[in-house]
Amino acid sequence: MARAVSTQRKALVTVVAWVIGIVIFFPILWTILTSFKTEAEAIASPPSFLFFDWTTENYGEVQARSDYFRHFWNSVIISVGSTVLGLIIAVPAAWAMAFVPGKRTKDVLMWMLSTKMLPPVGVLIPIYLLFRDTGLLDTRIGLVGVLTLINLPIIVWMLYTYFKEIPGEILEACRMDGAMLKEEILYILTPMAVPGIASTLLLNVILAWNEAFWTLNLTAAKAAPLTAFIASYSSPEGLFYAKLSAASTMAIAPILILGWFSQKQLVRGLTFGAVK
Amino acid sequence: MATQHSRAAARLMISPAVLLLLAWMIVPLAMTLYFSTLRYNLLMPGANPFVGWENYHYFLTDPAFTTALVNTLLLVGGVLVITVVGGILLGLLLDQPFWGQGIVRILVIAPFFVMPTVSALVWKNMFMNPVNGLFAYLFKAVGLQPFDFLAQAPLASIILIVSWQWLPFATLILLTALQSLDSEQLEAAEMDGAGFFSKFFFIMLPHLARAITVVILIQTIFLLSIFAEILVTTNGGPGLASTNLTYLVYAQSLLQFDVGLGSAGGIVAVILANIVAIFLMRMIGKNLDA
Amino acid sequence: MKRLNRALFGATALCTLAATAAFAQDTTLTIATVNNGDMVRMQKLSSDFEEKNPGIKLEWVVLEENVLRQRVTTDVATKGGQYDVMTIGTYEVPIWGKQGWLVSLNDLPDSYDVDDLLPAIRGGLTVDGELYAAPFYGESSMVMYRTDLMEKAGMEMPAEPTWDDIKKAAEAMTDKENEVYGICLRGKAGWGENMAFLTAMSNSFGARWFDENWNPQFDSPEWKETIDFYLDLMNNYGPPGASSNGFNENLALFQQGKCGMWIDATVAASFVTNPNDSEVADSVGFALAPDKGLGKRSNWLWAWSLAIPAGTDAEDAAKKFIDWATSKQYLEMVAEKEGWANVPPGTRKSLYENPEYQKVPFAEMTLESINAADPTNPTVDPVPYTGVQFVAIPEFQGIATATGQQFSAALAGTTSADDALAASQALTEREMKRAGYIK
Repeated sequence: MARAVSTQRKALVTVVAWVIGIVIFFPILWTILTSFKTEAEAIASPPSFLFFDWTTENYGEVQARSDYFRHFWNSVIISVGSTVLGLIIAVPAAWAMAFVPGKRTKDVLMWMLSTKMLPPVGVLIPIYLLFRDTGLLDTRIGLVGVLTLINLPIIVWMLYTYFKEIPGEILEACRMDGAMLKEEILYILTPMAVPGIASTLLLNVILAWNEAFWTLNLTAAKAAPLTAFIASYSSPEGLFYAKLSAASTMAIAPILILGWFSQKQLVRGLTFGAVK
Repeated sequence: MATQHSRAAARLMISPAVLLLLAWMIVPLAMTLYFSTLRYNLLMPGANPFVGWENYHYFLTDPAFTTALVNTLLLVGGVLVITVVGGILLGLLLDQPFWGQGIVRILVIAPFFVMPTVSALVWKNMFMNPVNGLFAYLFKAVGLQPFDFLAQAPLASIILIVSWQWLPFATLILLTALQSLDSEQLEAAEMDGAGFFSKFFFIMLPHLARAITVVILIQTIFLLSIFAEILVTTNGGPGLASTNLTYLVYAQSLLQFDVGLGSAGGIVAVILANIVAIFLMRMIGKNLDA
Repeated sequence: MKRLNRALFGATALCTLAATAAFAQDTTLTIATVNNGDMVRMQKLSSDFEEKNPGIKLEWVVLEENVLRQRVTTDVATKGGQYDVMTIGTYEVPIWGKQGWLVSLNDLPDSYDVDDLLPAIRGGLTVDGELYAAPFYGESSMVMYRTDLMEKAGMEMPAEPTWDDIKKAAEAMTDKENEVYGICLRGKAGWGENMAFLTAMSNSFGARWFDENWNPQFDSPEWKETIDFYLDLMNNYGPPGASSNGFNENLALFQQGKCGMWIDATVAASFVTNPNDSEVADSVGFALAPDKGLGKRSNWLWAWSLAIPAGTDAEDAAKKFIDWATSKQYLEMVAEKEGWANVPPGTRKSLYENPEYQKVPFAEMTLESINAADPTNPTVDPVPYTGVQFVAIPEFQGIATATGQQFSAALAGTTSADDALAASQALTEREMKRAGYIK
């Protein structure tokens, strides 16, 4: 009897959860579907859900107009580059904060986070002038630098909360066993820290990929990532829902797929010390 | 001795991050501070004379300023309430056993991966457009006049769009926190005859407190500088109905190319953001303490 | 492993060599342009230019109008040097030209035939005798209307309508049951959106932005009349959500047969008569923008033009490109590939003298509209500024964007016409004081 109730309950939960899941996902699904319609079908009333003439012409046209792969490649380099660079700087810092906490550690951490509250529009002109003078405008290196700095506080904090969960006793125990620092790091800490680093890496690639202010304002043609690609499809002359959808799908697909495949890793570390 | 040694090492390890962030903060901030005391318009090159507080005076007495301040708070507050409440409910739901859990979780977290510009464009054109949008079609299908979301309820519409983007984040963190809840504690409570609500309020919610503060902190950082969504959908209007501080600074500095005024606005925004930050840190500091 | 490394190293070295070799030969031109139909076509056809000029490689930055304007203005004003060719309008050219930010185009080759440019357009792009930008397409505004709906209503559109004619026609054509709205006008806030339309409209009502001493005039009865008339038209005969409709949204509405009339840019004519995109392509008529019998019509003048920022390192190549993109030959090439109706309009006299082009249904009305606009003398009463739908001072963008918000809110019904006018007056006064025009 109890079993039957629980199956019933499970069925109910299943229905509710699926409905909610589909509602939340629907805007993305609709965009993907629209990208395969003709422009006329895209704004047809009543809208057709699945039974339309599927076409890939929008993708062809978008590719012909703007070189997708170049923008894609720039996005990859900028987001991965800034994240890796950020990790290189942040790992030692977070490490020290977690294992050798001082009185000021938390203040420093909070101060770092507060630098993220600087509204980017307010400092665009100064940064633009700096970039002009250093020849960094429209370069991937320049963008990697800016995005590293923007995401550094988040990286440090995520790593800090993660490292803090590694029990210090383990370290002491191996030190007692006479392990060298190198061994300590290689055999004990790295395996324990990898999930946290992986999830930090993923989150920051996502954040950097979607950053649309600096990437749009500091690039022209050479270093322009997908955020600039999409800006050439927003409000053109006439309403091109299908082409806009195709461009949108192309812009979000890589990160969506990456996110889905790595969601387990992402979720594992995405706790910011919220779970104890 | 050893601790001193390790402290020195620790300092050495922290310093690159600190120094870089310090430079990143101070250099633009110093330039912005300097510009904010000049009459400096990009479109009118010339001497850029020193004008003292004039730019601050203009920015703070701008009738748009208070509106923007209120809108910023409404926007941040609205999104926080929706995502935290929604995140808890979704977390509770997804924590139950059901068929297809993995797939539903994938569906739910998907909006987090979408570029803000793209999501604003999609919502604006394909859903909220009063003639060709899907919502308009649904309204008409049930015999109602299509509602013009972005004109009649601009701020609420933007809150909706932004909440859609951040709900997955809140859900993920809260779900993980829920999953870490000791099931024995819950079972014990059940044995004592506790109903769902008393379980929720006396066991789950206190357990979630930490996760909730984390969600609030991280989201506030990002929500204070919401910009792309407003630029794409309403341009801050109609009137000033959806202008937040960031957008106001944008309108001053990049639409009018008045660097002086924009810089003053930027400094004001930084100060306000820091007030919010201190407030948040106080609140969270308690919850985050080891 | 070592072998692989060596192979990799070799490959990299080769690539670097190839890259430097290519670099030595090629000039790369970075062109910033708007994502409008005609420019997208130019990008598509630009392989023709690259074939004819083997040493020049083109890089395109195609952006939405507002983003583009912000990007190029920041770049030119800070001398960022990211672009070699910029697409700018008649608002920017006089201001930038005066600042010395643009390269003079007076030395374009004879084949360019600068005297062939329409005088109204050329005048708007010339500062002190120097041509600072070459027009890519020019536009005015006019009435586009549905001939079938007018016929059904038993009415006829005069070639030179008054605002009262427009109101009567709007009333007769409106059929909200079937989603046909008598008139579609811009309502989306922006100096290039609703303020372009409203400023041009106010000219025909005898209003003006500033008096001769730069005092803002939003408190004048003429502005009040303009806004009241506009709100009345839109509230009674306009589509829902008009306050977020700009050019693009209205274009889509008209193409779907949801507008009886649309007063907007003349370039739209080729889109609404194109059977591929428009459901009403066969039944579109054209008329001059309406007036009120005061001697000024409500049409504007605009030209998207190509200019070279001063300080570019590829000036000669940039000139070659501009010559190519705005030449007579380019027009012929588009005509040959896409038909005469799709040629970028409104820049050259010879185009309008071409018998082939005269067959295009909107050619004549476009030319008449452009000729009817007078940027140096735009209003009934005298003004200290030039520009029909804008005021050619740097402060205008910011002020008109803010006033545009006010009128957009009035259209959305969140504020009243009087409050919107009062707020506009106050904020314009504030900005003009700050800029030092008035005390």
